[in-house]
Amino acid sequence: MSNFVPLETIDRRALIRSLALGLTAMGAMDMEAAQHVHVETGAEKAKSGTYKVKTFTPGEYKTIQQLAVLIVPADTVSGSALDAGAPEFIDTLASQNVQIADIFHGGLAWLDAEMRKRYQATFVAAKPEQQTQMLDALVEAGRELAERQSEELVYQKSPIYKDFTGYTVRRANELGAGVAFFDWVRKMTVDAFYTSPIGFKDLNYIGNQALAKYVVPKEAMEYALKRSPFA
Amino acid sequence: MPQNAISQEIFDAVVVGSGAGGGTAVHVLTAKGLKVALLEAGPMLDVGTEFKEHKVPTDYDHRGAEEGGKSYFGKGKPFGFFSTTSGGWELEGEPYTVGEGSQFQWFRSRILGGRTNHYGRMSFRFAEYDFKPYDKDGLGFNWPISYQDISPYYDKAEEFIGVAGTIENVPSCPDGKFHAAPPPKVHEMLVKKACDKLGVICIANRRAVITKNLNGRAACHYCGQCGRGCQSASAYSSAQVQVFPAMKTGRLKVFDLAMVREVLTDENGKATGVLYVDKKTRTEKIIKAKVVILAASACESTRILLNSKSKEFPNGLANGSGMLGRYLMDTVGFGLSGTVPALEGMPHYNTDGYGGAHLFMPWWLWDKHNKLDFPRGYHIEIGGGYSMPGVGSYHGAARRYGYGANMKSKIREGYGNTIGFAGRGEMIPNIHSYCELDPNVVDRWGIPVLKFHFKWTDYEWKQARHMEKTFAEIITAMGGKVAGLSASQRESQGISIPGTIIHEVGGARMGKSAKDSVLNGYCQTHEMKNLFVMDGASFASNPDKNPTLTINALAWRACDYLAEEMKKGNV
Repeated sequence: MSNFVPLETIDRRALIRSLALGLTAMGAMDMEAAQHVHVETGAEKAKSGTYKVKTFTPGEYKTIQQLAVLIVPADTVSGSALDAGAPEFIDTLASQNVQIADIFHGGLAWLDAEMRKRYQATFVAAKPEQQTQMLDALVEAGRELAERQSEELVYQKSPIYKDFTGYTVRRANELGAGVAFFDWVRKMTVDAFYTSPIGFKDLNYIGNQALAKYVVPKEAMEYALKRSPFA
Repeated sequence: MPQNAISQEIFDAVVVGSGAGGGTAVHVLTAKGLKVALLEAGPMLDVGTEFKEHKVPTDYDHRGAEEGGKSYFGKGKPFGFFSTTSGGWELEGEPYTVGEGSQFQWFRSRILGGRTNHYGRMSFRFAEYDFKPYDKDGLGFNWPISYQDISPYYDKAEEFIGVAGTIENVPSCPDGKFHAAPPPKVHEMLVKKACDKLGVICIANRRAVITKNLNGRAACHYCGQCGRGCQSASAYSSAQVQVFPAMKTGRLKVFDLAMVREVLTDENGKATGVLYVDKKTRTEKIIKAKVVILAASACESTRILLNSKSKEFPNGLANGSGMLGRYLMDTVGFGLSGTVPALEGMPHYNTDGYGGAHLFMPWWLWDKHNKLDFPRGYHIEIGGGYSMPGVGSYHGAARRYGYGANMKSKIREGYGNTIGFAGRGEMIPNIHSYCELDPNVVDRWGIPVLKFHFKWTDYEWKQARHMEKTFAEIITAMGGKVAGLSASQRESQGISIPGTIIHEVGGARMGKSAKDSVLNGYCQTHEMKNLFVMDGASFASNPDKNPTLTINALAWRACDYLAEEMKKGNV
């Protein structure tokens, strides 16, 4: 934007100090200082060295990495959730919370067991189409479970007692445990992707700047008004 | 209590609580040359560490999910990791209880500046009719003061804290002393056009944000992150705008982590100071002062008065009327959202602005109540735009679209196309909504806790249904699609849970007579001339206008009065 003026040359620490003092310093905060901090905090974290896995076995971690690529794949607009650091994010939180670690240890073990049953191979070793078949089955089962939540009791023939018809709880989906795990790996992967610089760029998010003046671009206004009932 | 450490100093005034009311009190009183002690139940505010303004998720390896992914288990901060909220509806070691059949959630901030650090900063004056609601419809209570009494103090408060807005001449929402307001964003312009069609008034929002430099505070730099705290103090917070400057006068002494238990009195029927628990040492201490000002929040101030029991005052202090804790009110809240096709594919731009919406809808049917099935009114707040992606932003979309390339492009296409409306309405005070001391529970400081009772009535439910209908009409008029509620959703989300809008007021209401009210029009207790309550507890009604600006104005007016009375020797 034309009213966005990045500044690269000022000593960052001094600027943050002057910002932090704020009113106690009884001086008007410098626009330049504000802008500089906005730019700095964004740029500084882009760097990432080699990550050391804290929680998962190499096999588990590889599966998380493969899931990240499948859940948010690279396309013409942006990279994948793997590029955005989703496995690091999951591993870090799992290292801080045994509850998350257990969800993933157990879920990954369930996934490989189910894959072996279906395809005689672990998730990572299976063919790409087998991997997506598995995930499709989990998505489908998840939708079914969600629909059922409001109609737990159904009037149906009992699957166990041949002569009984009445209100019974529908049989749980066999993939129930997998659905719960997939929900976890998906939401954490999606979170890691969209909170990263890659995800920001994918959505074309352009806020969090210090501006001297707030302006709404004419072309955006005209675009929406033209397509609205008020055209 | 001879074992308690008593401060040597006798202050002119002791102020309990450092939010909008307490902040205003210490500013006005120190400016008049008084020596003031300020007690805050939380720690001092360190703007540099507490405010996460300007940060992005990758500045933290948890990305905002908090240490160990707390937010995934519903145990994160109430408004997210980046908000400057220091407190919440549940505080460890400081419980409250709720009566059977009631729902109430009590939000408490424990930090210098209190809730002004994170609040929405909506700053609307009460209308003339808001001070005489009983005269209008025979419900609730009139205030002992009129708009003319408080208007000069709205001026002072607005000029000092700084409020951006525009002059509009809308009777339900009187104009004030405004800084220039920023222009409407695109989705808000569509809302305005829809409102014009529907006969709903839609004007520039009024928020406590300065758009030109003021008293050493820099003009807003439009990062839109007021909820994270504002390091340049462009958005009002009592800590930065009132308490820190008051400390510089040398006449204010701040005691942090000081949890007040009760107001102390002498045999002449005067308040002599307060007894507090020093949280750092877990010891009781006493501060002596000529005047005691409670501004600990509506319910906390009420609690202190209820706990100030003695032989002379067996039901608590200033409670001769038995009204202490009665007629507790929150704001009626309801929200509805939808998607707007006209926004699809729009060239993205920075929608941060001065934080919050740039337009809002004040109550527009103030003279049409004969056509409505509920009394009083509400205003409408607008949500939308390209906000910073955060943890949890796309869980719903991910579940809807599965995974993979399709999910990714659907999330991309849907970004910024959503519009949301939140209604904020006036409840009628009722006898079922009150707080009292729970005789069986104390907090970790040994102080008896509050027990809440609360009920919405048909007045509030019908108002919420009117909100729902109106929001759906606006979304439809914009060419949008309403994300409607199912019958079961309406049952559970059809009206806000009491306390969750965090506009709880009343409990020590002001009135003309000592027989049926706790305070007079100057926030002074009827029963004790040197005891004041300068927070939302004084409210006789809870108009749809967010309470903070009126708390500022009432406290300012009360301090002017108090200083005059001290001069005359009446206090």
